[in-house]
Amino acid sequence: MDSAEDIFDSSLNLEETHYQEGYKEGYNHGITTGKEEARQVGLKTGFETGEELGFYKGCVDVWSCAIQIEPTRFSTRVQKGIKQMQELIQKYPVMDPENESVQEIIEALRLKFRVIRAALGVKLEYDGCPKPKEIEF
Amino acid sequence: MDNKLAQELYSESLQLSNLHLGHSSTANGFNEADIQAEDGSLWGDSDDELDKASDLDREWQRRHDQFHTIGYRDGLIAGKEASAQQGFNIGFKQSVSIGYNWGLARGVTSTLACLPDELRERLIETQEKRDKFRELYESMNSLSTTDALKLFHDDILTKEAMEQREPAEASVGASQEQSSNSCSLGAYTAELQSLLLDSPEINVHFFHQEVSTPDVC
Repeated sequence: MDSAEDIFDSSLNLEETHYQEGYKEGYNHGITTGKEEARQVGLKTGFETGEELGFYKGCVDVWSCAIQIEPTRFSTRVQKGIKQMQELIQKYPVMDPENESVQEIIEALRLKFRVIRAALGVKLEYDGCPKPKEIEF
Repeated sequence: MDNKLAQELYSESLQLSNLHLGHSSTANGFNEADIQAEDGSLWGDSDDELDKASDLDREWQRRHDQFHTIGYRDGLIAGKEASAQQGFNIGFKQSVSIGYNWGLARGVTSTLACLPDELRERLIETQEKRDKFRELYESMNSLSTTDALKLFHDDILTKEAMEQREPAEASVGASQEQSSNSCSLGAYTAELQSLLLDSPEINVHFFHQEVSTPDVC
């Protein structure tokens, strides 16, 4: 009877072994394919994030130059807003997608940008430009 | 369910052990007639035994595959989860600076296009240059983010193909130049950069990878 029990044991162990073999194989495969899949997502997200941030930076840079030349053309409120955008862009941890402050900074940037754009009365956007969500009254 | 599984499992092991005993006694040189007689009571004739054996092999293989497959699936999910963040970060860091410079060029050209004429004239001296900025703005503005992403994707593919061909040249310095010059998106930023060089009144800072983090994968 003892020997029979051993056989049951080994049969159960065998199934565990098969499971483990499969797991290991799957895990290794998952590491490589998962990394590549995630890299593709990262490439897209990184580009879009960079584009939005760079866009604001481009606007701010040109505005700043224009202010240098003709300060009187821009109200102090707008000038202040542009300066704040500049600071926000500098604060943005571009190379650290895991940084939790990212969302907060980009939201603040979007808001400031919209305010300045409205104050200047210009139509500045590109199709990737995040649209304001529903306007709350 | 458990019960059923156990039954299946046990009866099979039992059959296997009998089969195994039968085989080993043959190998040990026991009298064949004895074995026939012995087996006869359990298995019937030897043809039957062969069928049973192949049935068992199949069953064994099936069971092996089944557990292997379950394990594989669990492992695959776990592996993907474990590497997702890392892969995302690698891709993100590869593309963020290129997207940034592209967006910067978009921002600069569109803001210039939106400025009042007199102000633009003070920033950009000659009409010829103003026209060039205008042209650049129009061609960039006709590209959507999706178009730009596609161009960027194509650039990456060519770059990766080149790196595979010449691994020695794919060092840090070489890839730096490629990312800003030889790619089609880079052509726009390069043109803007050269226009800006001639326009001292406009001060724009492009993103330079080497300044921020050297550990870009």
